Amino acid sequence: MEQKRTNRAKLFSPRYLVYDFVKATASLPGLIWMRPRWIYETEAAKKRIRGGALLIANHYGFFDPVYLMFAVWYRRHHFICGQEFFESKFRWLFKQFLCIPVDRKNFNFGSLREITDELKSGSLVSIFPEGHIHDDGGNLGAFKSGPVLIALQGKVPIVPVYVRPKAHFWNRVTFVIGEPIDLVKRYGKRPPMSEIDAIAEELHRKEEALKQIAYQKRR
Amino acid sequence: MSRTEIIGKLKEILLAADDRNRDKVLACTEDSRLVADLGFSSVSMLYMVIAIEEEMDIRFENVGASDFETLGDVVNYIEAKLK
Repeated sequence: MEQKRTNRAKLFSPRYLVYDFVKATASLPGLIWMRPRWIYETEAAKKRIRGGALLIANHYGFFDPVYLMFAVWYRRHHFICGQEFFESKFRWLFKQFLCIPVDRKNFNFGSLREITDELKSGSLVSIFPEGHIHDDGGNLGAFKSGPVLIALQGKVPIVPVYVRPKAHFWNRVTFVIGEPIDLVKRYGKRPPMSEIDAIAEELHRKEEALKQIAYQKRR
Repeated sequence: MSRTEIIGKLKEILLAADDRNRDKVLACTEDSRLVADLGFSSVSMLYMVIAIEEEMDIRFENVGASDFETLGDVVNYIEAKLK
């Protein structure tokens, strides 16, 4: 009963007014332009993401956050972005789009708390584990271990997503949705750093596997 | 909690966190630099802070990873928080 009340409050929060308005008005043009195609890794991956979750994806270009908003269209995304975006004149816009600023040069421990609080309150947080745009002919960059630590601390599953962008304007955008990975269930609340690094490598392999799926299927 | 006790607790936390540089942690002093001497990354720094917060029941506020250069800086912060 209490859970229902929380969801309803979130649905009508003024905090989401700009986000929801832009999403509603941009959906149709976005769909026409992208003609997106969803591929699910397994049957379990088809299940809608409910509650707190950390979505990880490849970072190929500036439009990746927009693609992710379409990939998991039924949820609001809280994106983790660099502090420098919040220091620009578009600060207000980034705030309205639920971005959480992170100082990449001097990571503030308060930022970690802000992210995990969002996750614990049932939000979907999206992050690019490569840390920055990685346009290397489609190759994935190394994954940082931070997202693993965030998911463990927030006690939420990680949902890997691979976005195959358009190579030409007539191509479709392909989203490959992976099966959620419950790290706490698998590795415990606080595994040692060596294991956290190994999990980050495992997530990289998983993302590579999703990429293979995206490129195997015809557009 | 005295400074020696805090260092002892910190060493315990660091050993549980990462036993890959066990010898360095056991030999570290207050002057040991977290990045240069103990091989900390930003993530291992976060890990240490999470562990300290849970084990010592304190909160790291308005500080960033680069505010702590040496182990002594961490001890100073914990000592101030425990007062």
